[in-house]
Amino acid sequence: MNDHGDDVQPELPGRARRRLRSSRLIRYLLLQAVIAVAGVTVLLQSLPGPPAQYQVTAFQLTEAGAERAVTLPYFSPLRNAMNDPPRFRGHFIRPADEASRAWSVFLPRFTNGVEVTVNDVVILDSRRDPAANRPDRNTPAIAVIPASVLRDGDNAISIRLFIWGPITGFLDRIWVGPDEELRPTYNLRTLVFVTLPVVFSSWQAILAVILGIMWVMRRHEPAYGVLAAAMAVGVGQAFLQTPMGETPFSRFNVILISSAPIESALVLVFALLLSGWKWQRYAWIIFIPGIALALAGLFGNQALVRALFLILAVPMVGISLLIMAVVTARSALQRQNVASFLLGCAVTIMLTCWIVDLLSVFQMMPNRIFTARLSYSAMLVAIGAGLTWRFARALNQIDGFAGRLVTQVREAEEKLKASFAREEERARAAALARERTRLMRDLHDGLGGQLVSIVALSERGNGSAGIGEAARAALKDLRLVIDSMDDIGGDLMLALGSWRERAMAQLRPHDIALDWRAVTAQGLPVHPELRPWHVIQIVRLLDEAVTNAVKHAEARRITVRIETLAGADGLERGCITVEDDGRGFEIAPDGGAAGAAKTARGLRNMRSRAARCGAELELSSCAQGTNKGTRVRLTLPHRFPDSDGAAG
Amino acid sequence: MNSLSDGPKAEAITVVLVEDDAPTLWRLQDALAKAGYQVRAAGTLAEARACLAQGAPKVLLTDLQLPDGHGVDLIRETRRRFPDTEIMVISILGDEESVISAITVGATGYLLKDAFPTDIAATVRDLVAGHSPISASIARFIVRRTQSTPEPPPGPVLNTAKLTPREIDILWGIAKGFSYAEIASHLGLSRQTVPGHIKSIYRKLEVHTRGEAVFEAVQQGLIKL
Repeated sequence: MNDHGDDVQPELPGRARRRLRSSRLIRYLLLQAVIAVAGVTVLLQSLPGPPAQYQVTAFQLTEAGAERAVTLPYFSPLRNAMNDPPRFRGHFIRPADEASRAWSVFLPRFTNGVEVTVNDVVILDSRRDPAANRPDRNTPAIAVIPASVLRDGDNAISIRLFIWGPITGFLDRIWVGPDEELRPTYNLRTLVFVTLPVVFSSWQAILAVILGIMWVMRRHEPAYGVLAAAMAVGVGQAFLQTPMGETPFSRFNVILISSAPIESALVLVFALLLSGWKWQRYAWIIFIPGIALALAGLFGNQALVRALFLILAVPMVGISLLIMAVVTARSALQRQNVASFLLGCAVTIMLTCWIVDLLSVFQMMPNRIFTARLSYSAMLVAIGAGLTWRFARALNQIDGFAGRLVTQVREAEEKLKASFAREEERARAAALARERTRLMRDLHDGLGGQLVSIVALSERGNGSAGIGEAARAALKDLRLVIDSMDDIGGDLMLALGSWRERAMAQLRPHDIALDWRAVTAQGLPVHPELRPWHVIQIVRLLDEAVTNAVKHAEARRITVRIETLAGADGLERGCITVEDDGRGFEIAPDGGAAGAAKTARGLRNMRSRAARCGAELELSSCAQGTNKGTRVRLTLPHRFPDSDGAAG
Repeated sequence: MNSLSDGPKAEAITVVLVEDDAPTLWRLQDALAKAGYQVRAAGTLAEARACLAQGAPKVLLTDLQLPDGHGVDLIRETRRRFPDTEIMVISILGDEESVISAITVGATGYLLKDAFPTDIAATVRDLVAGHSPISASIARFIVRRTQSTPEPPPGPVLNTAKLTPREIDILWGIAKGFSYAEIASHLGLSRQTVPGHIKSIYRKLEVHTRGEAVFEAVQQGLIKL
């Protein structure tokens, strides 16, 4: 209910802020004035009446023992005339040709009760209709004159006006004519002044329940509870009838008269709470008029209650409205929120209605239609609906928030999963590195040293060159295995860098040049899925190609080309080509070499290594011509396989 | 690399060779002697110290695992006593585990024990000429250390904080197998400046004093004060 953060005012220097505020205030007040003027204009419009020809205007009034001629509408100065009510006597003509149509008497407005007599037969006593008895309602009355009572030509009509306060008596103009001519006007008035308030009150009842439940569930927002209480009081006031006469419950019925000040106090508290005010102990004084009136109704007599009503309830309503107008205006100006602004406009409309009603009580208006109650009900319904709407919107926001939360949780979960996978990967790499370090130390101390000794010893005796070569090859392979276990972060170039050094060391004694060409600047694409066993297969394959060139091809120059190719499918693939300028050989139809069995086995090995890594191997060899030599072209997969695909 | 006979005469160049495996010692000694270097051989740390006591050699080649101690200590001592001596490690596998720890005390690169005699001579000649050889796997180890990781990676401690981005780029190029000329052209450098950068990289990886070692250990979070 608190509109925190609805609008944050940008900080302005003092003078500019003051000017802005005063201009806002002026605009707000102008708007409220326009609303008030429009309200008065609308209220001054009289409701459409039946055809003027059926209006009965001239009456003889007998009041307080005196008799005089009056024209309606008539304000009686009396406040209480139950025993000797003013009597209006008049005449109307029913033409003979109208005998076929039913005639009625229509009284649009009277306070407090009427008894209509036509030709000395009572046809209407409004006191039997509880709704019509309430001075705050503009209940119209219509009565069909029984055909047997009516005469052709002149008929006498007499109206007794019962007045029981708290305001003075009033009798509006009356019409006597064909029922079908009067009925539409009556229906319109019934719709506006009877049905509509009932509809409003029903809404109010529903909202009272909704807001009550809301308050029960959200105790920290007392505004809901206060508004629910206001609505409940309003509903009680509307639906609990007050029949005349002394019933066992009449005392309690009298309490209902206190509903107006209590209700206005509740609405005032609601408006204060809505504008961010905190409940204070002294605020109970707001309810004193209502409680006093209720106590008077319980223990005093009706005359006292009615007297008190005028001096307690009416000003209380007015004061509440005035305070609300100020509070909502302040709230609307300071916080610039739509809810306060609308409430402010509603208060202005109600205040206007209340003032017009007051003027009409004091007979300063030509008519006596009370609209404050109607506008109040409409406003309460609007407020309740607005609050429910806000609540629904808040629920939507919560739904959205929950949705966002779900998405965020899912995202976080995925991130966590990814980070877990990364962590696992890192732990794996660390374990591998530790294992490699351990292995290296072991090899260093044992096998490595022994192999080096074999190399050194073989060089001293001439006959054991083959042993030395084998030991050197074993050392080379050892270095390859250890090297490929290093975490190179998927960058095959880092493995090829070491391989180049080893290959150069291998080629140097044979006087074979190694031409190293990285065609694309980056070299090869990075493969995060690259595993040590992939690296070993590739490096051994390349070794095989170089060894073939050294041993069998009598090459003078070996060229290694490294490039990244964009495939037809748009994916990047690394490509390594080893080319020599040696003798070349015939490639047999089955893809193996047609020549020596050893070469054939070497080629088969290369093919199986390529297949294990999901790489493509292309062999071409040419024995004669300018471009003689062998070319091994290895196209790496876009993604290295997880498992050893061609194992076995 | 058959340029041995074209190289400068090396009578004045003394090499202290420390290797405990006799056959390996002989073959290295042969290779160097044939290339004209004056070799003082030692099989243990004590013998090596005796050799060094005779005067500053131009080059010290040492194995790390010695019967009576560790080659790293020898390198540190030599570095302190004879700052002009070029030091190189003799390694079986060229593994970073041992080579890096030697580099941090002042060694420049390594020599493989089974290297061909011509390569052995050529490497020493390059070293004497002021070049600092660096292998792809060592370069790879160093650049992998320049990449930040949540926890210190296994292996020897190495502080790469002083390396400049350019030096790291050069190391990347070496790790990926590019020649100095290719690296120079990629980075827009003159080819001649690359060896200088590599020398500078070696010097920056060296931990000079105990104080500095402690300071760097603190910086890297290895020691908590």
